[in-house]
Amino acid sequence: MIATGLLVMSCEDFLDVNTDPNNPENVSPDLVLPVGLNYTSGYIGGDRQLNHLGSMMMYSYGEAEGFDWYDAEFNYRLSGGFYAQMFQSPYTSSLKQYNVLTNQPEQFGYYNAIGNIMKAYHYQILVDMYGSIPYSNALQRGSNVAPTYDDPQAVYDSLIVQLTDAINTIDQTNSMDNVAQVGVDDAVFGGDMNKWGAFANSIKIRILTRESDVKDAAYINSELANIQNNGYGFITGNVGINPGYIAFESGKQNPYWNDFAIGFDESSDNTYLATPATQFVINFFQGLDDPRLDFIFETPSSGAHNGINQGAKELLASTDDLGPGGVSNFNLPSSFDEFNGPSNATLGEDEGVLRGPEMATIIMTQAELQFNLAELALEGFNVSGTPQSYYEAGITASFQYLGLSASDASDYYTQSTENVSWTSSPNKMNAIHTQKWLGLFGLNMGQVWFDYNRTGYPNADPVGVSSSPIARAPSGFPISLETNETDRPVRLLYPNSEASRNPENVPANSGIDPFTDYIFWAQ
Amino acid sequence: MLRKILSLVMVFLITAGVAFAQSGSIEGTITNQQSGEAVVGANVFIQSINKGAATDQNGNFTINDVPYDTYELRMSFIGYKTKTISITVDQPTVTVNEQLESSVAVLDELVVTAFGIERSKKSTPFQSKQVSSESINEVPSTSPAQGLVGKVAGLTINQGGGNIKPNNSINLRGLRSITRNNEPLVVIDGIKANLNAFRDLNSEDVENVNVLKGATSAALYGSDASNGALVVTTKSGTQGGELQVGIKNTTTFNEVAFVPDFQTKFGTGIDGAYVPYENTNWGPRFDGQVRILGEDFPDGYPVENQMVSYDYKEGAIKDFYQTGADVKNTLYFSGGVETGSFYLSLGQNNKTGLVPDDEYQKYTITANGTKQLGDVTLGVNANYFSDTKDVVGNNIGEQGRPLKWHIINTPGNAPLTQYKDYQDPQSYGNPNNYFNRYYDNPYWAIGTHRDLDDTNRLRGNVSAAWNVVDNINVTGRLGINSVNAQGKNFRERQTYEDFRVSNDFLSATVTDSESQYTAVNGNFVAEGKFELTDQIGLDAALGSSVEMIDSRNSSITANNLSVPGFFDISNGTGSPITNVNESQTRTYGFFGKATFDYEDWLFVTATGRQDFTSTLAADDNSYFYPSFGVSAVLTEAVPALEDVSFLTFLKVTANNSTVYSDLGAYETTEVFVQSGAFPLATNGFFLTNTAIDPDIKKEKLNSTEFSLNSAFFGGRLNFDASYYFTNTENLITNISPSVASASTGYLTNIGKLSGSGYEATLGGDVIRSQDFSWNVSANYSHYEQQVDEIQEGTNEIAIGGRQFAIKGQVFPTLKTLSYQRDDQGRVIVDRETGEPLTGTVDSQGQTTPKHIIGLNTGVNYKGLRLSGTMTYRTGHVYYATGIDAMEFTGRTVESAASNRNPFVFPNSSYEDPNNPGEYIANNSIALAGDRSFWTGQWNNIKENYVRDASALRLRTLAVNYSLPAQLLSRTNGVVSKVSLGFVGRNLLTFTPTDESRFSDPEFGGGGYFSAQPTRSYGFNVNIEF
Repeated sequence: MIATGLLVMSCEDFLDVNTDPNNPENVSPDLVLPVGLNYTSGYIGGDRQLNHLGSMMMYSYGEAEGFDWYDAEFNYRLSGGFYAQMFQSPYTSSLKQYNVLTNQPEQFGYYNAIGNIMKAYHYQILVDMYGSIPYSNALQRGSNVAPTYDDPQAVYDSLIVQLTDAINTIDQTNSMDNVAQVGVDDAVFGGDMNKWGAFANSIKIRILTRESDVKDAAYINSELANIQNNGYGFITGNVGINPGYIAFESGKQNPYWNDFAIGFDESSDNTYLATPATQFVINFFQGLDDPRLDFIFETPSSGAHNGINQGAKELLASTDDLGPGGVSNFNLPSSFDEFNGPSNATLGEDEGVLRGPEMATIIMTQAELQFNLAELALEGFNVSGTPQSYYEAGITASFQYLGLSASDASDYYTQSTENVSWTSSPNKMNAIHTQKWLGLFGLNMGQVWFDYNRTGYPNADPVGVSSSPIARAPSGFPISLETNETDRPVRLLYPNSEASRNPENVPANSGIDPFTDYIFWAQ
Repeated sequence: MLRKILSLVMVFLITAGVAFAQSGSIEGTITNQQSGEAVVGANVFIQSINKGAATDQNGNFTINDVPYDTYELRMSFIGYKTKTISITVDQPTVTVNEQLESSVAVLDELVVTAFGIERSKKSTPFQSKQVSSESINEVPSTSPAQGLVGKVAGLTINQGGGNIKPNNSINLRGLRSITRNNEPLVVIDGIKANLNAFRDLNSEDVENVNVLKGATSAALYGSDASNGALVVTTKSGTQGGELQVGIKNTTTFNEVAFVPDFQTKFGTGIDGAYVPYENTNWGPRFDGQVRILGEDFPDGYPVENQMVSYDYKEGAIKDFYQTGADVKNTLYFSGGVETGSFYLSLGQNNKTGLVPDDEYQKYTITANGTKQLGDVTLGVNANYFSDTKDVVGNNIGEQGRPLKWHIINTPGNAPLTQYKDYQDPQSYGNPNNYFNRYYDNPYWAIGTHRDLDDTNRLRGNVSAAWNVVDNINVTGRLGINSVNAQGKNFRERQTYEDFRVSNDFLSATVTDSESQYTAVNGNFVAEGKFELTDQIGLDAALGSSVEMIDSRNSSITANNLSVPGFFDISNGTGSPITNVNESQTRTYGFFGKATFDYEDWLFVTATGRQDFTSTLAADDNSYFYPSFGVSAVLTEAVPALEDVSFLTFLKVTANNSTVYSDLGAYETTEVFVQSGAFPLATNGFFLTNTAIDPDIKKEKLNSTEFSLNSAFFGGRLNFDASYYFTNTENLITNISPSVASASTGYLTNIGKLSGSGYEATLGGDVIRSQDFSWNVSANYSHYEQQVDEIQEGTNEIAIGGRQFAIKGQVFPTLKTLSYQRDDQGRVIVDRETGEPLTGTVDSQGQTTPKHIIGLNTGVNYKGLRLSGTMTYRTGHVYYATGIDAMEFTGRTVESAASNRNPFVFPNSSYEDPNNPGEYIANNSIALAGDRSFWTGQWNNIKENYVRDASALRLRTLAVNYSLPAQLLSRTNGVVSKVSLGFVGRNLLTFTPTDESRFSDPEFGGGGYFSAQPTRSYGFNVNIEF
């Protein structure tokens, strides 16, 4: 007892050693924000994340020979395991981080606003894929381990309110003293809060457009007026996240590049090798005389674009070289050609979709904003421009982002081709959504999938003849050759984890038909 | 802190050097009262001066340097009644010749319990079982834990991952916690250690292991008590004994006992077509035709296409593995001087692995000593351990799979062992020429991916025991268990020719790691024995203990190395990836124990401990651990029983205790963690994934045990039995909340488990005569844990490996997707396709054995001894991960059962379209039986991979021969012992034969990542001087 007494007494606070020396209990918001944004970047651009899923759903990519990569996607084999990360990852990563920001004291008003804007950005995507989602009781950690599900329309309504509040918070914080300024930790706008206001407005446009068919016009118009009146305007370019990606370091590359191009150790990624264009897409671009094709996909060494339609691989003659070296994979900057395995990289810097390991991940394109405004204008809502002007601005934004010029764009959209020029298009809605599909290609394809589910567009036939087998949905848009369904799914099923962890609240997957149970915004 | 410890150590060492005064010696012979034969190895001991000796081959003993005085001389030996005589030493030599009466072991046997407190076995209210050094080392192995298998009812030891440095898991009486530690406490020489320290011991240094079963037996240890304890005593020499020098060599050979059952009809390809570079076995039926194997090399390539006959290469996998050698040498010195004893050993163990180039070396030095200083006995136990391991890396190639994955992905027609040469660019083993497009040449993997580890452990303690007055003594001990380890894992760069389109190139990488662990334990115990009245005695102890554990692990990884073959962090490109993890825990407690005895047959024991821990909030870090027990020796209490001639001894006991399991360091606070990708342009932290209940408490275990110990016919037959039940409450559970709560786990106290079990041991001497004896001992145990409660609204929690804690069911239970079955138990199939329909996720059985039987036997004839251990475990299942994983390659036995032809699913039915709910026997609707069926619906129904885990094993078999003393006497006493033996381990294993087998579930669970099951055989030689 004496010995123990000596040992215990000789060190003061003998038991007081339970402060974790490895991880801090508290950190300032500037250390939380960039991680949240990096999660968002991964959620949009990462391996089998939203852009990847949208691209598979919207028939962008096939599968090269030697790979068995997209079995579930090509079969539209939905289950509680299919892309469960779409549900799980935001709640446990990005939304969790943004929720830390929205629980900060007043002097962190800017962080609070950014947190709320990014939450709205994610929650809309969750509604667009799942309908009812945990919202008002979500993100409460141990205090509520089984949150209830909110009605999707109510979530949408609340998101508009949250975005308005965020803009108000920016205004209020502008007039306060001793506020924490946002800086380089803001991997989107570098702390420019006016741009955050503009981004909030642009998300509102995405929300209002999506619900424009089911919400009464007065509501839409009054919200459009609010946007007009707050003075922040809209985003003027593409919105991208770049927390400072590093070219050749493990885990520090842009996640989209890392997935689809060249790894940190300069080896080609298998997803890159496995994932060529569909022949349909190649025919489509070529048929519309669209120069964007070469900025997105490479020309294989055979000298001509070669694609594989979804599920077609085993139906094609084996004499075709359908391996990674013979098909059109993503085009990359030529400076990466030496690392690039079986490819012919031809792009310059700042061209194309995949621009290098240090690029930003685009989470909203200027083109999308313009096409959304075009749709609102076409439907007669109170926006300032004409549908044609927004439509052409959308095409121009897409051309410019890929490395083409405004005059290349006007050369393109002045062709008298249906779904290319505004005036030559008898179905304006189809034209908008066809160009939205082409304009968001490889970037934010999830949005295009949601709009297809809402509108049934695009439905256009490709121009040109293909030897590649193809199957079509009733809309005319192609579907995978492997599926027995008549069209692609219109939503996802809830992840299995919710059935086992939150069974009281999650709607049962057995009661959901993912091919016919549309999200509320579809008419 | 460390400085204080060192100065205490110095005090012990300095005082140990003081010597003293005037004395004589006691000599004598001890013989068997009945036969008159010498009693060999008996203990002769004087308690008051803590001196003694052991009798030699002729029953003679000498205790030197006994100060002139009168003493109580105690003579004891297992199987004899202890005898105490009074003796006065008043001349240089006093002679004592005494006879001992055969007796029953349990009557006087001492049990080393918590904190080194020795108790007579008849007073202990709980079950324990001592395993001797001889038994552990009958078939020596790298780790002493292996020597306990099958010898103790309720003790289960499984081989973990890694063949060359075994990592056995040890469990007493099943699992009582869902997420917390289920391993027993380990105490070495009176000081708390840990399982790794036990595994690292040289088994030759172990004097005995006393297995204390149940929480009551260990309740004095507080939060470490819940799973019982292994109390290990190392050899110490005999005070006043003669110097013995011995050398022991054990050489064994390990070979693969088991390779997966694979189909032998089909080889490389897809959907019946031959594909030369495939790892899958969906090709055509074997036809013996010579075909190209691997890539069709381009024109002008300097290597000819590889042409191989298309037939099954029998034994290719088994022949890949080599026979490993395991050479173990121990040199030991043991003896004593008048006022002290010592034991010193040097051990060395060199092994080569089953996998070519795997190597392991282990070195141990053990130095134990005692020194008598008047009423004070000082002791030191010190053990230094050092090992080095050099094995193939665990993350091979682009996909980072283990070696076994690459081996089993060699299709049946590929001649695996012909790819040894991977360096020659012209060889077919070279990565550019290797046939398999998707998985790598295992020989290349061995040469280019290595994991190196060095571990050093210093473990020891110093103790001082002071016999204050006759009936009171105090003991203080201070121990250290310090480990430092370094590792280097590396992967070499590999480039590929352009024509290998699926292989780009593999960058080189290296990880350096270091870890340090230091545990300091101190304890202090005062014991006293008091006669309260003529009938009632009190045996009491008061004590305290303290523990401080500090650990630190760090690693640095450098990627994309530039200079080939140079595996240094400086060779990396980009920033190295670093990780440092430190932790500290502190606990202390005060405890007391009181045993009242009535007329030396009824013993009532109560113990209590107040425990303080650093891992909980300061206002709630103190818990009380009570235990109560009763032991009654009925043969001494009930006169009627004394008249039953065949009943020698009967003791019944009952006990109950409440103990708590601690939380780990830093578990009670939510923190921010630096995010993997950061720092980028800024630094970044994420809120930890696991939410934590701010009011979290320790897990509470209450256990109750009833048992009896009995002996018949003068101890020739023994029977022990016990029944126990446990209740675990406030289970510390990392429940899985909805991900929408922004957490992937929630650590809280939820759930209740209740368990019960019984065990019995029956043993005895079948034959006992002068030259020939035969003893047999059988033990049986059964235990079961049931989940009583989980959180509200939740009926089950996944605990990994498809195992679940399910309310109302046995824990742990295996669950998988199953077939849909009709009420006759027939599998329901789809009326169109004939394919079985997927049912729900159902329970498939428990994963811990329901019944465990151990059988030990030994036959002695003069110097010859034959001994063996068998075990049988049954009533449990396991998930054959390996078979599941190999379904996609068409390698499984099942996938060829229909010869890839359509077949009607056996014992199936389909729903009557006209009468829904009615089922018609299916005799005609055949399913396709092709690749898409086996890799699709068949593979989807995971019930197909549940296997009966029953196994009957011949664990050990040993034949030892000791040269007779007459022969040795010709060496004039130079050589005192020579023994030679042949030993075998896991020689025979019987498992159910009606199912295909991938692995042995006891070797890491049966997955493709687990250790290769082995059997071993060899010899040992022991010479003593």
